[in-house]
Amino acid sequence: MKRLKFYMALWCAKLSIIALKMTGHRGTDFPGRIAVKICPDFLRQAGVPGRVLGVTGTNGKTTVCNLLISMLKADGKKVLDNNQGSNTITGLTTAFIRDMGAGGHCRSDIAVLEIDERSSRVVFPLMEPDFLLINNLTRDSIMRNGHPEYISRVLTRAMPAKTKLILNGDDLIASNVAPGNPRAYYGIESLPDDVQACINLVNDLQICPKCHSLLQYTNRRYHHIGRAFCPECGFRSPKLDYTGADVNNEDMTFEVSHGDWKHRFRILNDSVFNIYNVLAAISYLSELGYTPEQIDGLLSKAEIVKSRYLVDEIGGYRVIRQMSKDRNALGSSRAFDYVSHQPGDKELIMMMNNLSDAAVWSENTCWLYDCDFEFLNRDNIKNIVVTGPRAKDYYLRLKFAGVDDDRISFVHDEIDSPNALRLYEGEDIYVLYGTDSIDLAEKVAGKAREKIEEKISGNAGRRAG
Amino acid sequence: MKIEILYPEICNLYGDIANIRFLKQSIPEAEIIGTPLQDRPRFLDEPVDMVYMGTTTENGQILALEQLRFLREQIAEHIEKGTNFLITGNAMELFGERIEEDGEEVARGLGIFQGIARRSSINRFNSLFLGTFDPGKAKDSGEPDAEPIRIVGFKSQFGHTYGENGDKDLDPLALFTPERGPGMNRYAEGEGIRINNFFATYVIGPLLILNPPFTKWYIRHQLGYDIRELAFEAAAMDSYNCRVEEYSDPKTGLYYWGGTTERWT
Repeated sequence: MKRLKFYMALWCAKLSIIALKMTGHRGTDFPGRIAVKICPDFLRQAGVPGRVLGVTGTNGKTTVCNLLISMLKADGKKVLDNNQGSNTITGLTTAFIRDMGAGGHCRSDIAVLEIDERSSRVVFPLMEPDFLLINNLTRDSIMRNGHPEYISRVLTRAMPAKTKLILNGDDLIASNVAPGNPRAYYGIESLPDDVQACINLVNDLQICPKCHSLLQYTNRRYHHIGRAFCPECGFRSPKLDYTGADVNNEDMTFEVSHGDWKHRFRILNDSVFNIYNVLAAISYLSELGYTPEQIDGLLSKAEIVKSRYLVDEIGGYRVIRQMSKDRNALGSSRAFDYVSHQPGDKELIMMMNNLSDAAVWSENTCWLYDCDFEFLNRDNIKNIVVTGPRAKDYYLRLKFAGVDDDRISFVHDEIDSPNALRLYEGEDIYVLYGTDSIDLAEKVAGKAREKIEEKISGNAGRRAG
Repeated sequence: MKIEILYPEICNLYGDIANIRFLKQSIPEAEIIGTPLQDRPRFLDEPVDMVYMGTTTENGQILALEQLRFLREQIAEHIEKGTNFLITGNAMELFGERIEEDGEEVARGLGIFQGIARRSSINRFNSLFLGTFDPGKAKDSGEPDAEPIRIVGFKSQFGHTYGENGDKDLDPLALFTPERGPGMNRYAEGEGIRINNFFATYVIGPLLILNPPFTKWYIRHQLGYDIRELAFEAAAMDSYNCRVEEYSDPKTGLYYWGGTTERWT
């Protein structure tokens, strides 16, 4: 009876994929929803590929997954992944269904799955990953995730005993998940911009997990990410198995050491956040048995989806779409920090509104006060256009951060926001958008480009006249 | 003016600390003291104008209670004599009788009010809140005819507080009266606790930033400071007025159903 349900679920879901294709719908987890409805333990009954690799955590899991998928494919592996769908139970189930033949067997050699950290409690009882990487646990949507300590507890309770963990050893919340499981830690020894005191509003691990005294950080990157110790009881960040060091922003490489090897790898961009993502992928492949030379070769072939940072250049201006995750204080703080440290003058269009929330209730904006808007109070940020349903909240938050009125513009509708750009010569224009406004951000960026072209052609006309 | 934040290293979730940063921006001469877990609260031994405590983790609740439990009688005396306390989010639960998780008691509270916090280890509850604060409610307020002040904010929590003997224990102590959105629990008619100058509420926002009329009243009447204008008051009022209008609109949904959340039908 159980197998009958499984096949019913599989075939109905397969039919739904055909129907979705015919109606032009892609990237949805509808097939998985059907399968789970008919056969709630579909994933348990599904034949899994030879190895199941999971990636979870708050920020960066999509980037790490994409890197792993790209590198494993470059090695000739057939990879099952969920990068076109959701990372919850229905998205994972959809990914399996797409990979399966009519007989219910996966065609791929290996599965690389991005797993929503909160969904682990429903996923892990059905499917035990061989490896699970946790890249960080930080504040996220307070509605869903509450706080990182809670997510750590959810993961620890759900963790299958056999799963080997690959953990960011510079995140004491992530590195303390499921202490009984086998594990390897990766981290970065030191960076030139390391600090000791926290400059962020959110600092989620200030006390020693053992004795509750105040922790001291020797090398802090941001928030609670860094190397720490307790002066009272001697507790300290774990010894690293994979150590990143000597980041060279000129040739965009860094050194990784593990056991008796040491090797330089390329980095994808110079943000610390992305160095961690690359180090995570390197550590993962090493755990799978790849040599550093093999990893280096695969990394050089890796293609990175740049949907979160897109640049258009027009006549000396740059229009940059920068993902700044809505309802995610830490994600947006990282984006603000990065943008504010880029050289040159800039204007920002701030449109991280959660449009789904705006449609059904009203966005919970607590996260704005956990997020480092203070980073945007810099002289080279000439104008911040606040727009969309929460524009007045952004305006208030920017005032709270000390940003002067003459550097804030208010526009009600996002699509009209480029009209408030001042277009200083040779500046960068950043469109800061959330996960909910990717398409809208593209339209807004398009309109910003039009405004620039108008200005350039107007200038040319005046010169000709 | 001296404002003491209790245990800021753990009671700092959901932007709550910005309540005090807003007070500091509005009252520049205010001295803000952060008292860590290892230290004895300053208000017990020296004059402090206001004691603040914000939202914390579930483990943070236990750690804070381990410290406060031994100070229970002194805290009760301060509440009795009128020391100002502002307690937001789940920090309020520390002052009730006990905290339960999935039906099991996980901590004894300070017993300042007869409330039992019942939480789930899985489901979160999220809603908007629209209600009123009645400045004339207190017998000695000196302003019995004062107009109620509209309050807006959010709730995002794992549990609710129930009266030990039903909500009749809690409703007379309510800090706010809900108009839309739940009170202390699904059935309660009041939100929060007001005992003398002890103000506690589940409403987050941060409360003081989202509610400039209430904040102005609080600074003038509770802190006794003759404030003319709050920091960036015009921007705060603009945001507040929009939110009051938005939340008053019956078409605006009150509950968030994303992810695994508690559903009330």
